[in-house]
Amino acid sequence: MPDELIKWLHIFYGYFHDLAIAVYIGGAVAMEFVLGPAQNAIPPAQAQVMGQKTADRFLWLVWGSLTLIVVTGVLRLQRMGLIVGEWPPFKSPLEWSDSYGRTVIGLLVIWVVLLINGVLITFVLRPRLTGKMSAGTSASQVTARQGARLQAARWIMYLTRADLGLALVAALFGASLKWGGIL
Amino acid sequence: MDTVLGTVHALAWSVYAGGALTMEWVLRYAQRTMPPSQVGVVCKRSGQRYRWFGLVSLAVAGVTGLAMVLRIDDADLAGRTGHPELSLADPYGRTLLLLAVTWALLAAAVGSMAFWLHPAQAKRSPAGSTPEAVQRDRERVGRAIHRMDRVLKLELLLSIVALFLGASLHAGGVG
Repeated sequence: MPDELIKWLHIFYGYFHDLAIAVYIGGAVAMEFVLGPAQNAIPPAQAQVMGQKTADRFLWLVWGSLTLIVVTGVLRLQRMGLIVGEWPPFKSPLEWSDSYGRTVIGLLVIWVVLLINGVLITFVLRPRLTGKMSAGTSASQVTARQGARLQAARWIMYLTRADLGLALVAALFGASLKWGGIL
Repeated sequence: MDTVLGTVHALAWSVYAGGALTMEWVLRYAQRTMPPSQVGVVCKRSGQRYRWFGLVSLAVAGVTGLAMVLRIDDADLAGRTGHPELSLADPYGRTLLLLAVTWALLAAAVGSMAFWLHPAQAKRSPAGSTPEAVQRDRERVGRAIHRMDRVLKLELLLSIVALFLGASLHAGGVG
């Protein structure tokens, strides 16, 4: 492959990797500290619609970012010659005995936790929050449903804050790789 | 120290660029389903908060970026891909200069939004104004909203360019 093409591939992998991380972290900060408080300034019914719309869109950004982060991360490691198509697939310093390797594994663990939280929010908690009640629902069912909604909203808040904290740790780990890792 | 600087720099750019993309992609979409009066309230609240996030993160990105450049030495550069040089004769130096110019343009865009366009949008006609004066104020607010829209799009484009320039530095720059 020509050197110039290799250089541009390296730039594009790095660019999309950085862009995905920026979207994930910056988006989480904007949702938590800017859009959340702004939502409280309008009537509750409208705030609920706004919350649903913003969460719908933000989840697309989250899934796109998580996918791009892992794909471009693996491509970067492969381009650096740290992942190869033979056994063992990981080359030094991508080993447990090296700080670089431990930091990359730490990043992978964080990514998996973010993925699990994303699955929980998208496929378990959000459907509980947005599900509609059918006609003829009894008062006790309505109360139970509202309780479940409140609990789902609380768990989404906890998981989103945990995700933000984990993403900040991931940024520290990622930045440390340039100087050989931190773990 | 380098790790801390690198982390804070990356976080500042993330909050800035990721926040700008989210405000455009998420907030604008949500606004389409809201009544105009509430769009105004949400815009005002989110704009008031976001301008501080934008200004602080851009300032932090600038300060940490400058500190990182000042800490670069020849041994550090020799160990990087393509052995770049901190000179305008080298793509690395030119890309750094372009990044600094982009940062300055972003600072000007965010500053103009925070201290000029956003307050201009919030201006209301005083009680007892004549219908002509109210109409003039409305037109002024309309112009401020239009200008804000254009500056926001420019800001988004510049922040994407800045991320690209920053990422290219790992491969020796593009300038």
